Amino acid sequence: MYKWLNERLDLERFKEKYLSKVFPVHPTYFFGEIALFSFVILVLTGVYLLFSYTPSSQLITVNGKKLPMAYHSILVINSQPFGLIVRYVHHWAAHLMIAALMLHMARVFFSGAFKKPREINWVIGMVLFTLAILAGFTGYSLPFDALSTVATGIGFEIANSIPYIGNAIAKFVFAGTFPSPGSIPRLYMYHIFLVPLLLLATIGIHMVIMVKQKHTQPKENKEITKGTKILGIPMYPQQISLMIFVFLFTTSVLFFLASVLPVHNVEFFGPPTLQTPMVKPDWYLLWIFGIIKLIPGSWNIPLPGGVVINPEVIGGLIIPSIIMGFVTVAPFLSKSKEAVHYWEPLEHKPVASSIGMAIIVMLVALSITGYQAELNIPLWVCRIFVLTLPTVTFLIALSLTKKGKA
Amino acid sequence: MSEKDKKSIEEESKSCITRRSIIKGLIGTAGVGVFAGLTLPFGTIKNTSGKKKRQKIAKGDKLVFAVGDKANQIIKVDDLPLHKGTLAYPKGKEEHHNLILLFHSPVNNFQEPTKMDFITKNGFAAYSAICTHMGCTVEWYPHKQFSFDFPHLFCPCHQSVFDIFHGAKVLAGPAPRPLPQLPIMISDNIIVAAGDFNGPIGPQPGGK
Repeated sequence: MYKWLNERLDLERFKEKYLSKVFPVHPTYFFGEIALFSFVILVLTGVYLLFSYTPSSQLITVNGKKLPMAYHSILVINSQPFGLIVRYVHHWAAHLMIAALMLHMARVFFSGAFKKPREINWVIGMVLFTLAILAGFTGYSLPFDALSTVATGIGFEIANSIPYIGNAIAKFVFAGTFPSPGSIPRLYMYHIFLVPLLLLATIGIHMVIMVKQKHTQPKENKEITKGTKILGIPMYPQQISLMIFVFLFTTSVLFFLASVLPVHNVEFFGPPTLQTPMVKPDWYLLWIFGIIKLIPGSWNIPLPGGVVINPEVIGGLIIPSIIMGFVTVAPFLSKSKEAVHYWEPLEHKPVASSIGMAIIVMLVALSITGYQAELNIPLWVCRIFVLTLPTVTFLIALSLTKKGKA
Repeated sequence: MSEKDKKSIEEESKSCITRRSIIKGLIGTAGVGVFAGLTLPFGTIKNTSGKKKRQKIAKGDKLVFAVGDKANQIIKVDDLPLHKGTLAYPKGKEEHHNLILLFHSPVNNFQEPTKMDFITKNGFAAYSAICTHMGCTVEWYPHKQFSFDFPHLFCPCHQSVFDIFHGAKVLAGPAPRPLPQLPIMISDNIIVAAGDFNGPIGPQPGGK
């Protein structure tokens, strides 16, 4: 069989060229793989869900109760023998993908791998991360329960509050004022087609560039190889075995999480009602939620034509874009022009490392602000913490990393 | 070929149209055309209109319960004892942006900027139930919450708090404007509207 295929496809050459690619070994190298495998699991479980899901908010009468078709189809999925666990695995895989992407980004950032020559892949990685968040956002609108309609409605209002063009943009994206009859089919199209397609393309480009540029390596590899070669294991058979292990382990962890920790129980929230349930966005959007809460309602910047830049736009779009944009252009702000091939110790880039830590602290502080009411912390305390904690972190980290250099 | 010949050929190729430049131009034009052909249709997508224009609430519109066991029933004065509130609709105009929060409180507690002629003599008042921040439904919240140990209107989305005795002004949270007030009156022991809300309802597009 192999001989037959080899004669036609020249597998030997393929083996030589690609299957001998060397992978440096370090536990942190698996974050990216976990994200990739989560995506694979998302696609597989997603296909299962597509067989039963109905993308429509139209009301149908079931046992004398009027329910939106989408909501009812989720109940149908839940009632199938493996439906509930596949849904929960899908949801958990989305969380895991974003968490793994964050850890992957942290590794790439703090090891200096984002700098020259890997600037392009850092930017592509940020696009990938944004797409993953968009996939999550469009995903939790689909069950059309009380929680998802409120959450998606808030997304609509944030877009709607952009000066001048907001209404046109929001109506274009959500197919009219949310929730209109066209909204769910539109969001469904984004979630199952447009966003995954872009994700797939971005992942592909990310991989190809990674293979072309090769991995950065742990520092100690330099002494062993004298800086000439990459020290690690070949793609085939060692790395592939590890990848199979990581894939199987990821899948089993997801099934375990899905079976003990149910997420997004649509029956708990019920179909959309007039009353708004206490909603919180998913944890990876909690920091934006925190910013929205922190911006005082009086922050209105007047523009010509009686239009203002209002607090919703400042908190929901402008500040998050500034933070994301700043992280995206990080490699271009770096002053060092030398190509990085080995992990940089933190003290080689004290400012970048300290800013990185300050941003992480700020995101955590903002996420806690999202639970400010539940934790009974007054807003003004949150405002002070969100501004001071990152600054203090930056200063401490800077003094520590500079000391390490001396 | 002498140096001079080379130069003259180069100059000639600069001045006259080459095969390469024609092909480049053609591909460019075709590219723009195809790009336009593929993107322009997006600009003409018709969005299903979610909402018609809101039907304005008129003087004499009866209020009905919007939720609960008595949903769609006309609200009588006795239905809402002191310190109670409910979501209500103007009868026959039950649409989201007409959602009303009606409550009953001691009449002496109301102060400016509450529109004093919008409330009834026995302490009924009504506001738009659509939060001015992101359009969530505001709740009647009679319990102690945070530092507010008096009844208030509370938005569960971003925890905005509106003062029921001072024209629903914003006490806490990110809401940009007070809730619009609805003039109400009592006629024949039922609560009826005396006109429309005194301001724009919910968040305004384009940050207006």
